[in-house]
Formats: sequence, C-alpha cells, structure tokens
Amino acid sequence: MRSALADLGATYAAFAAERGLEPVPALGLGALTPLLVESKHCQVEPAARGRLGGEVDGVVGHLAYKRNRTFRFNVALAEVPGSTQFVPRLFCVRKGRSTRDDEFYGFEARYSKLWTESTALNQRYTISTSPYQDPNWMRQLFSPALVDYLASAPPADFSFELAYGALLGSVEDDDPGPDGLAALCEATARVAERVAQECGE
Amino acid sequence: MQINRTGYFLVALFGGLGLAMCAVPALAGANAETSLIIASTGFIFVLTAIGLGLYARHAKRKAAHNDWIFQNGIRGTATLLEAGGSNTTVNEMPLMKLQLELDFPGIGKRQVRRREVMPVFTAHRMEAGLVLPAYANPENPAEFILVW
Repeated sequence: MRSALADLGATYAAFAAERGLEPVPALGLGALTPLLVESKHCQVEPAARGRLGGEVDGVVGHLAYKRNRTFRFNVALAEVPGSTQFVPRLFCVRKGRSTRDDEFYGFEARYSKLWTESTALNQRYTISTSPYQDPNWMRQLFSPALVDYLASAPPADFSFELAYGALLGSVEDDDPGPDGLAALCEATARVAERVAQECGE
Repeated sequence: MQINRTGYFLVALFGGLGLAMCAVPALAGANAETSLIIASTGFIFVLTAIGLGLYARHAKRKAAHNDWIFQNGIRGTATLLEAGGSNTTVNEMPLMKLQLELDFPGIGKRQVRRREVMPVFTAHRMEAGLVLPAYANPENPAEFILVW
C-alpha cells in the first residue's frame, strides 16, 4: 500500500512538473459534489493545482474512501461561476460506475431525473439533473459538438458532476499516469468551458 | 419522496409474507392458538405493506402535480435568504429549513419558508444569496416548486 501511494505521489509530481502546476500534499475540497461527499473528509491526496486546460484553473487529486470496500478515483475540480441559475445540478456518470455498495433504501427523495435525449451519450453515460431542469437549456448545452466529444474523446472511465457551480471530473484508474491525468484535466476543462459558454448566451 | 425498486420489493415481501402467515397455519391444520399468534404477526406485516403502498401512491400523485406545475407554471427565481438544518435526516439526507424571496413575473416578490429533504452536498451549498430557478402554479401562485 505504501509503495502504491509512493507511486501515485511520483505520478502527481511528474504531472505537476510537466504542466507547471503547484504540487500539494493534500487538500480538503469540501462537500461540493456527490462523489466528494462519499469521502468523509472530502480530501484529495496527493494533489496539484493550477491550469487544468484551456482557460480553466482548478485542482487535480486522488480521492480514496471506504464504504465496505475502498473506492479510488482521480478527480479534477473546477469552478463554473454563474451556472447555478441555469443548471443547479448535472451529473454525467459512466454507466456501471459504483460509488457505494453498503446502503439500500425503499424510499428516496425525488431529487433527480434522467436525461436520455442523446442516444450516443446514453450508450456511455447516465445523465441526471434536477427533476425540474429546463429541457430546452439541456438541449442547447449538449450541442452536437459536445455530444461527439463526450461520446468519444475523454478517457473511457470519465464522468463529471456539476453541482452549484462546482464541476468535478473523475476517472476510476488507481494510477492513471501523467497522460491519464492530463486527459482527465483536459476533459474537465472542456466541459467547464462549454457550460460557462452556454450560461453566458 | 418516491418508492424505488427496493421499496416495491419490501412492500411485496411484507404483504406476501403477512398474507401467508395469516392463512397458511389455519389451512395447514395448526391448532387455534398457534394460528392466532402467527396470524396476528402476519396482520401487522400486511398493515405495514398497506401503509407503505398508500404512502407510495400519495408520493406519486404529489410528484405528478409538481410535474404539472413545472410544465405549466410561471418561471421565476428564488433567492435564498437563510438556510439551516433541522437535526432531522431521511436516509442520511438532512431536512433543511429555507427562507426564500420569490420573484415571479406578474406576481411580484414575497418571502416564504420552505422545508426540503436534500442530499448532503446540496445542503452544504444552501447559502444566503444563492439564486435558484422556481416555478409558480398559475392557478394558485402561493404554490411553487423550487429547482435545487
């Protein structure tokens, strides 16, 4: 385990050096999105901060938590200011991803609904929003270019969660290597820029 | 709240098991005292299943009504003035007390209080000044749904 963490530290150090990011041993991100909340302390370790891609700044780090078993993700967090009034919540999660396996309830709050209008995205992701999300705005956000991009370009295990202006991209690799981290950061930045663009129109 | 697959399974399990406990001992020729004891436990199971079923039906109707407001309502905004937890949770989700200023075109501004069961990450983001979309019932503007 210590060796695996050392390897991960080396991966993040190499990635930070290559991209000019500031390496950080550990960073508390706060309870910003559902995936972060699964981890009790919402902390990434190791981490790096700086330019993720395009014009988007943020944090990239390794998130690990236990819920019966250990779950490990590498995540990139960026802000999309002004998105809350257009899309309070938008989750685009790889089909089959598991983030917990220890709780089952018969009744649940009705806090999300599926968005299934894109066949290309349905094959790869489960997309959900608030039950009362404006569907027209969603259609504009998921332009053909964004759909093509999400369906083919990001790493195979990429998912993102946008919640109240915080965008968290994530992959499930234990140690994706510098190239995998770069792909995670670029995909997250691309989504952040697209959401910001649509909010600005 | 809405019932999910686990909920339907529990309703069917309690209902089926309860009915079986009410009927099988008597049909199998058990003595009256044993049949009564098992049947009374089974009756409680059946009552539980009926209660869950009624609650699920109520939740479904409420959801359909809210969907109608969303599709036919007047779109406006709700600015969060104050938010606080109530120390009550449902399935690990806190029940939040919100004070809101609603602003709907043609209706105007007013302040209201609202209680919502929210996921933890949402509850953490409920801070004064947050502006959320809202939809008012055109037939009864006092009624609204909050998009959070």
